[in-house]
Amino acid sequence: MFFNRKSKFTPEPGTLYAITGGRTVKLENVNDDVFSQKILGDGIAFYSDDGIVCAPCDGKVGMIAETGHAIGITTADGAEIIIHIGIDTAEQGGKGFKTYIKEGESVSAGQKLVAFDRKMLTDKGYDLVIPLLISDAETYAEIAVCAEKSVKVKEPVVRYSKEKSPGKEEK
Amino acid sequence: MKQFEYTIKDPIGLHARPAGMLAKQCKNYAPSVVSVCKGEKSADCTRLMAVMALGIKCGDTVVFRVENGDEEDTAASLKEYCENNL
Repeated sequence: MFFNRKSKFTPEPGTLYAITGGRTVKLENVNDDVFSQKILGDGIAFYSDDGIVCAPCDGKVGMIAETGHAIGITTADGAEIIIHIGIDTAEQGGKGFKTYIKEGESVSAGQKLVAFDRKMLTDKGYDLVIPLLISDAETYAEIAVCAEKSVKVKEPVVRYSKEKSPGKEEK
Repeated sequence: MKQFEYTIKDPIGLHARPAGMLAKQCKNYAPSVVSVCKGEKSADCTRLMAVMALGIKCGDTVVFRVENGDEEDTAASLKEYCENNL
């Protein structure tokens, strides 16, 4: 109330923030093996209420698919993050996706990356789940994700650490 | 070092799903290191983001390069994997 929310927000290292307003889904519950079996990495997924996808952290855009449905970000602390909008949406060849960033650009947590046409893609029958993945997951001893719930952009949803948190190491 | 050329047949190219499966496959080849080269650029196949950043499309001819370990064996197995999956 006393502070401007935007200037107050400082992302913490080892944390990924919600990339869209909507709800979170455990990767295990995503209806595609490549995500549910964590072949592309570990993390969490979202269903978006507004079709706008924002950066989960401060970092640098390492990759944008020409089709706009997938983005890679190297975080300020070195993790490799992949955001994949929808299942099999690559087939659209970019239709329904608009990107707001370029490869190599620095982004900050909460910055708008991509907007997608929820209605058009839903009408075509696509599952618009959005996995947010740490693709170099084996580098981290611990990746903790939040429960399935409603979220707003910039709410913390994933924490990753190269060391196990105390108390969890031994039984 | 062993290398071979391969032309991608997967209609979506070497993107998320195929790139992820390839990364998984190539992790099995350690200590062999597999890289994929498109033109001047190359990426370690186990590094998903680097592979996806190459933007390899259907119909593109790439070079797979195998270094260390049993290069002969790895290259043969990888070639078979590509033909069946990519």
